[in-house]
Amino acid sequence: MRSAVLLLSLLLTAAPFGLLGEETRQVSLKVISDWLDPSQNLLHIQAVGATSTLHYVWSSLGPPAVLLVATNTPSSTLNVNWSLLISSEPDGGIMVLPKESIQFSSALVFTRLFEFDSTNTSDAAAKPPGKSYPPYSLADFSWDNITDSLDPATLSATFRGHPIHDPIGAFASGSLAFRVQAFSRSGRPAQPPRLLHTADTCQLEVDLVGASPRGNHSLFGLEVATLGHGPDCPSVQEQHSIDDEYAPAVFQLDQLLWGSLPSGFMQWRPVAFSQKQGGRESAMPCQASPLYPTLAYLLPQSPIVRAFFGSQNNFCAFNLTFGASTGPGYWDKHYLSWSMLLGVGTPPVDALSSLVLGIVAVVLGAPALMLLAGGVFLLLGHKRYSEYQPIN
Amino acid sequence: MEEEEEEVRALLPGGPDEAGRGAPVTPPAPGALPALCDPSRLAHRLLVLLLMCFLGFGSYFCYDNPAALQTQVKRDMQVNTTKFMLLYAWYSWPNVVLCFFGGFLVDRVFGIRWGTIIFSCFVCVGQVVFALGGIFHAFWLMEFGRFVFGIGGESLAVAQNTYAVSWFKGKELNLVFGLQLSMARIGSTVNMNLMGWLYSKVEASLGSAGHTTLGVTLIIGGITCILSLVCALALAYLDQRAERILHKEQGKTGEVIKLTDVKDFSFPLWLIFIICVGYYVAVFPFIGLGKVFFAEKFGFSSQAASAINSIVYVISAPMSPIFGLLVDKTGRNIIWVLCAVVTALASHMMLAFTLWNPWIAMCLLGLSYSLLACALWPMVAFVVPEHQLGTAYGFMQSIQNLGLAVISIIAGMILDTWGYLFLEVFFIACVSFSLLSVVLLYLVNRAQGGNLNYSARQREEIKLSHAE
Repeated sequence: MRSAVLLLSLLLTAAPFGLLGEETRQVSLKVISDWLDPSQNLLHIQAVGATSTLHYVWSSLGPPAVLLVATNTPSSTLNVNWSLLISSEPDGGIMVLPKESIQFSSALVFTRLFEFDSTNTSDAAAKPPGKSYPPYSLADFSWDNITDSLDPATLSATFRGHPIHDPIGAFASGSLAFRVQAFSRSGRPAQPPRLLHTADTCQLEVDLVGASPRGNHSLFGLEVATLGHGPDCPSVQEQHSIDDEYAPAVFQLDQLLWGSLPSGFMQWRPVAFSQKQGGRESAMPCQASPLYPTLAYLLPQSPIVRAFFGSQNNFCAFNLTFGASTGPGYWDKHYLSWSMLLGVGTPPVDALSSLVLGIVAVVLGAPALMLLAGGVFLLLGHKRYSEYQPIN
Repeated sequence: MEEEEEEVRALLPGGPDEAGRGAPVTPPAPGALPALCDPSRLAHRLLVLLLMCFLGFGSYFCYDNPAALQTQVKRDMQVNTTKFMLLYAWYSWPNVVLCFFGGFLVDRVFGIRWGTIIFSCFVCVGQVVFALGGIFHAFWLMEFGRFVFGIGGESLAVAQNTYAVSWFKGKELNLVFGLQLSMARIGSTVNMNLMGWLYSKVEASLGSAGHTTLGVTLIIGGITCILSLVCALALAYLDQRAERILHKEQGKTGEVIKLTDVKDFSFPLWLIFIICVGYYVAVFPFIGLGKVFFAEKFGFSSQAASAINSIVYVISAPMSPIFGLLVDKTGRNIIWVLCAVVTALASHMMLAFTLWNPWIAMCLLGLSYSLLACALWPMVAFVVPEHQLGTAYGFMQSIQNLGLAVISIIAGMILDTWGYLFLEVFFIACVSFSLLSVVLLYLVNRAQGGNLNYSARQREEIKLSHAE
């Protein structure tokens, strides 16, 4: 039953989707700055395929946020009106033209970094997972210049920031980084959790490095807000799989789908790492809360979301919590890394690797062949065995 | 594993222990002693039986301590799975050699009484050193502890069998072997289900988890080894007392090991060795790593994962005698071995490629494991002349321990790098290699007109025709 689903989704991935689902794309990364104040800027990732274009607009104006816009033409363009965008009423400050080519659009906003004290909480699933410290609002972070981190070779860029007001100096030698990477074709990074990516996706890696925790057993969490399409919030699906070849001992893949397929998706493995190598010994569970509807004014405002979608929107939010009170944690190395994919179309699905299939074919085939060959040999052969005396 | 040897002895009238000839029991001295204290009475023998069963309890209980505390050991000692599996490898290394010498040490060097006490001491000291490694946060010390524990563990099983033969020969011997086996399984099962709970209790009383908690938990687990040592001392006393009262000799294993016999081993025997190694390396290392697998892949709680991880032992406790009887009554050992190996293969396939409830697969594995032990080990006696039997069994255990040591390490490395699916595929490959050997053994036996696959009736007829 499960394998049938797997097979079906495999076929679906392979089948063309009309406008979305391109094998390869021409990807370009561009920093769009305000002429008047070059410190204000956006990262525009444009992935052009034969019949479609994906636009990802990442920005650290306000809290870190991304717009995802899919169009059914290879020639759609992004228009940014800076004076509008940085005004108090940014509606219409960002547009993708032609408007009627837009097939799908949504946004993610990373609003808050939580910190909990997990001491004395044995129940890993408890919510919240311990006493909560005041959260860091990511809208009140200052971010390094994105242009310096832009790497056209790997199609990546990093937003690195720390709180503007940091009275206890928690981020004196630390930072929170959002590393964004786009892909021109499908593949799989070497770094765990090794999510399978396609040309229709882009990867975000969130790294918290070197910040001093406020307790000995601090767990961190991230609040993520998104747009609700319609009155209900999208749901987080947990997919169980038999395959943990790429992320040892992780048999689950979580994804958030904004609507019926094919639409946009956010996909991640429920695992974060407390060391840069990302081995199994540093793997921490990553728990996602269900999405809950929230009001726009309760969240830090993202100008780019407002600029593209206007002010009339339903927001939904959910929390990711990294680690548990026992096991590896941020306290080990003051390091936390978590990755996700953002894309359109059908989320990538892992298939059993050809190595596994090959080995299974050989090891099951060999005894079967042997039996067959032996059977034939015995049938055709002689009935000499009666001439032999048993050994004892 | 030592259990198999016992199983063989239990099932094989012509097993190596038969040579361990205790002197015929002299008629009881005029009844001055109450039944419990009179070595010639059943009540006293039952007391001895109880001591014998608990003699092995400690080592079986502690053997799988790492499996029961896998997450805790890895977390508290900050080791990866590869290093964790070294705890099992270090147990097996000494036994690659000691399998040949256990019988020799008991017969010629220490004698059964001192031998048992010394091996029990090794088990105790090994477990204590293992626990101290936890308390002092020194993983190398834990490894060393497992090494010492391994020296005692397998040889203790030999001594235990010798005691059984010496006290119960010609009376209730098969039953006694069966009971000892069941006790071994109970030890393993209790360990799997108790240690995690014990750890959490120690954690609660010490206030925090950590290497000290781990060490203290293991020390408490080591009480079972002390219990076994007390049994060893009591047995030595009672055995000596029986010798004085009944003029009974010290028991001997009677094993004669001649390493030069190896060159005479036939091709079918080598195939049996391969089947044995290929099969057991896919069972014991898997159980060693199983707990986390059931927790991660199937979402089992810690207790449920422990329970399912011990089901193989639980099933084999009652099923071993039943399958033993079945194989005895039907013969056709190769077919039974084939069934066992195919079942194990199916079980590992289920665990690897489906999300079906793993109880199905693990129960199948338990049945397969019990059946294999009953069908495979007696086959050795059919292809080896009796005077080489000791060497053949010693060799088989030695190879098995070598396989377990090597595969434990490889399994840990595979798990860390490629995950459980790949590990399961690796185990499937091992079982499949075993299956290949079974098929080959069947064909070779067929072609040579060998006696391995005779039915029970054919065996009877041959025995009769030889007698004539």
